[in-house]
Amino acid sequence: MLLFRSEEHAARWSDLRGTPRGERLSVDHQWHLARAWYADRARPGARRKTVEEAEAAFAELGLSGSFWSLRE
Amino acid sequence: MSTGEVDEQVRLAIMRAFVDQERPPSPNELATAVDLPQDEVERSLGRLAAARLIVLAPGTPFIWMANPFSALPTTFEVLGGGKRWWGNCIWDGLGVLAAVGMDGEVRTSCPDCGDPLRLEVRGGRVGGDDAVVHFAIPAAHWWDDIGFN
Repeated sequence: MLLFRSEEHAARWSDLRGTPRGERLSVDHQWHLARAWYADRARPGARRKTVEEAEAAFAELGLSGSFWSLRE
Repeated sequence: MSTGEVDEQVRLAIMRAFVDQERPPSPNELATAVDLPQDEVERSLGRLAAARLIVLAPGTPFIWMANPFSALPTTFEVLGGGKRWWGNCIWDGLGVLAAVGMDGEVRTSCPDCGDPLRLEVRGGRVGGDDAVVHFAIPAAHWWDDIGFN
């Protein structure tokens, strides 16, 4: 996950390298996910999210569909 | 102590070292921190890696990543409280500030144009430069090559 100046910069970078354009996320939404994933990580009892919990966190931000599915 | 309890002690000692000393502990330092033999600590590191809570440098018991922290400098520099850390990606860069619970900033640059980009967190809100996060890899494959992703 990289940070670009704009969607145009991300698309140009992807096209030049022949890599998928993938998906974009706002900085606000990325901060939301960063807190959801890591706010308790340095505390006792922290654990990774289950597939269901992670997908629910994505869904809260309207992130759904095959790109955001964690099921192989 | 059960293996689960050992693993939690080791995991917390890793996090404490990253937060307080800005770097991961060596297996030897971890053994001292949790008062266990080093071979037992290294088995625990293997279990934590299998559980994807840490990533070891290939073929070694040394910590490469303990998400959101990176042991090695990356293009995601995190500054907060007079300390400096490195995130594994922009998600983890912001995740470092979430994990340490501090105001601070993440410094990176646009891979396309090379311009520096800076995000800042103040009072639980994120601001800074206008920018967008790009995900190239679908979520189900993020861990296929965690070093790339």
